[in-house]
Amino acid sequence: MERGLTTRKIVIAGVLGAVAILLGVTRLGFIPVPTAAGNATIMHIPAIIGGVMQGPFVGLVIGLIFGVSSFLDATIPLFKDPLVAILPRLFIGVTAYLSYVSLRRVNEYAAIGMAGFVGAFTNTLLVLTMAVIRGYIAPGVAVTIALTNGIPEAIVSVIITLAVVVAWKKLDHRGNRKSKISGEM
Amino acid sequence: MSDNPILEVKNLQHIYMEKTPLEHQALTGVSLRVYDGECIAIIGHTGSGKSTLIQHFNGLMRPQRGEVIVDGHHLSDPKLDIKGLRRKVGLVFQNPEDQIFEKLIGDDIAYGPLKMGLPLKEVRDRVEWAMELVGLSFNELKDRVTYALSGGQKRKVALAGVLALKPKILVLDEPTAGLDPRSRQELLDNIVQLNKKENMTVIFVSHNMEEVAYLAERIYVLADGRNLIEGTPRDIFGNNETLAKHHIGAPQTVEILTKLKEQGYDVNLKSYEIEAATKEIVSVLQSYRR
Amino acid sequence: MASFEFELTRNITIGQYLPTGSLIHRLDPRIKLLAFTILVIAMAICHTYVGNFIALAFACYLFYISRIPISYGLSGVKPAIPFILVLAVLQLLFYSEIASGGTVFVDYGFILITSDSIRLVIVSALRFIEIIFLSSVLTLSTSTTQITHGIESLLDPLKHVKFPVHEFALIITIAIRFVPTFAMEMEKMMKAQASRGAEFGTGAWWRIIQRTKDVFPIIIPLFNVAMARAEDLVLAMEARCYTPGSERSIYAKYKAKSTDYAALLFCILFAVLLLAFPFPY
Repeated sequence: MERGLTTRKIVIAGVLGAVAILLGVTRLGFIPVPTAAGNATIMHIPAIIGGVMQGPFVGLVIGLIFGVSSFLDATIPLFKDPLVAILPRLFIGVTAYLSYVSLRRVNEYAAIGMAGFVGAFTNTLLVLTMAVIRGYIAPGVAVTIALTNGIPEAIVSVIITLAVVVAWKKLDHRGNRKSKISGEM
Repeated sequence: MSDNPILEVKNLQHIYMEKTPLEHQALTGVSLRVYDGECIAIIGHTGSGKSTLIQHFNGLMRPQRGEVIVDGHHLSDPKLDIKGLRRKVGLVFQNPEDQIFEKLIGDDIAYGPLKMGLPLKEVRDRVEWAMELVGLSFNELKDRVTYALSGGQKRKVALAGVLALKPKILVLDEPTAGLDPRSRQELLDNIVQLNKKENMTVIFVSHNMEEVAYLAERIYVLADGRNLIEGTPRDIFGNNETLAKHHIGAPQTVEILTKLKEQGYDVNLKSYEIEAATKEIVSVLQSYRR
Repeated sequence: MASFEFELTRNITIGQYLPTGSLIHRLDPRIKLLAFTILVIAMAICHTYVGNFIALAFACYLFYISRIPISYGLSGVKPAIPFILVLAVLQLLFYSEIASGGTVFVDYGFILITSDSIRLVIVSALRFIEIIFLSSVLTLSTSTTQITHGIESLLDPLKHVKFPVHEFALIITIAIRFVPTFAMEMEKMMKAQASRGAEFGTGAWWRIIQRTKDVFPIIIPLFNVAMARAEDLVLAMEARCYTPGSERSIYAKYKAKSTDYAALLFCILFAVLLLAFPFPY
């Protein structure tokens, strides 16, 4: 990866930032799976993807954009607090990037999946920590949410991050996979 | 051709963002009738309401005022089987290649039929049928990755994905926009084949008058959210006053014939097809030689 | 399925700008951003009843002088009312671990309601309304271009520590610029996939993987379109010899006037008042 900011990094950070905002302001950023909140958010995934594809700075900026937009657009008091809505989001892309590079040499797929998992869990963990520190929720409740919300969200994040990044990196070029409708009938 | 239209629109109106400062009336009163097995072109300038109109055909939009009746079903009926309607009316959007999301071509085309809950064997047959119809080899391509395809091939995959629903009516929004000449011709031939051999009713939106002349049996001209005129290509392209009055472009054949007529040659302006126009031009050349 | 389900563009309020030409509109965007940040921080920290009521009154007053109908601010609060209520109940019931100080009103089993926990509930609701009002005034009175230029110019001193200020502002501009474009793409994608039989949220509720894959037909094309647009833009920028890190001239220079400084000074004093003044309640 090139060092410093290239035109590509700037542009990709911008468009992924736009996707993050869009996922936040439409209901598409939520997937109806069993969590305490009734759905899992995927709004942090652009930050993870940005971190994996273009490095920590890009991941950080997308996280910032996501944080600010969720702060401005918040409908629950918890996220009208910049320390909860913005600060934790800066780290999503960074931890995703770190887990990606540390595992990349072992296995590309595992590295991408791990980035998805760690990025999502960073979001859950830091937001809840800040929420407890700022006095919005009690520590006991936070632990429950971390488990009931954090784990499904991390799974969703792994699936989507893998699907998007693998398609972008065109990793599946080898024709060893068969379509569902292939095979004898 | 039966007496009852397969698709009928009566005085359809649509207002976007009603009762807000951004209110905008896209359809002010459209009426049209399409009969089984026809090939219909809808033409009109950008903003004339074509896209809004065709989204009513498969229930993506419901009539605010006026009526849309597809194969006997009223779209205003709240109990309408919307999934059934969408299988009956296949809608292909502009740049449909953007909607491909599966890794493998076969999987992407099979998405619709699988969602219908058909048995795997039936899905496979439908995918094969759809792929061969658009000229993609089922055996060679079904296990290939989608992102290795060219733009023209991707569009064929997307078209096959809609065809696999086996719709009775196929609606296409600017089907050839942005394609290279060869892919464009192949796609046009596919559409002709669907219409003539598979007896599918085809409705398409286009800005390209060559294409309209080549495909359409009847044309509806839309402007400012209403239909101005309708008729066969011969009626519409052959009438200079109509063309000028409504600012409709014409195929190049018609433009050549018009220029010849202006210079005093006796040509028939209704000969818009390439063969017919060639005959007219040849006859002019022959009279000149004499 | 109602047709309005597809109208995504309607839900997007970011970048809503209501030009009324008021004093607030004419303020230097840098000053507005700075004042906004200071006020939000002060409001987030202030924990007294009186302080928060004063802050709320101030936020309402801002609507008045910016000549923006307060209904714009209220429309941001309305959808939040159920959340505020739920949060209030949760805080009352479960916050006993931390907010156990003050007078005890109810002490029944695990339920412990004290004057501290009541304060917490009321203050966090007020704080929420204040910040909604404040951010509404900011975004309604400042165009997105002004905001990005303002950010760029505010961050300018960071250039000395090698922070890529201009590039950062460009990223923000690109992000805001592409939101409506992608919203339209997404709307088209939802319609196209619905046309070929897509359904969302099918499958049993515990099947997380299945439910996630249900959104693939929308999410994957959305990222693909984003990437394709990015590649186009990279090409267009490089074709015009855009080089990151090079010196650039700025066509929109802001010059703060005395009213700007006065407004900023007022906001700083207000923030200090909120934080430092010993309000009785």
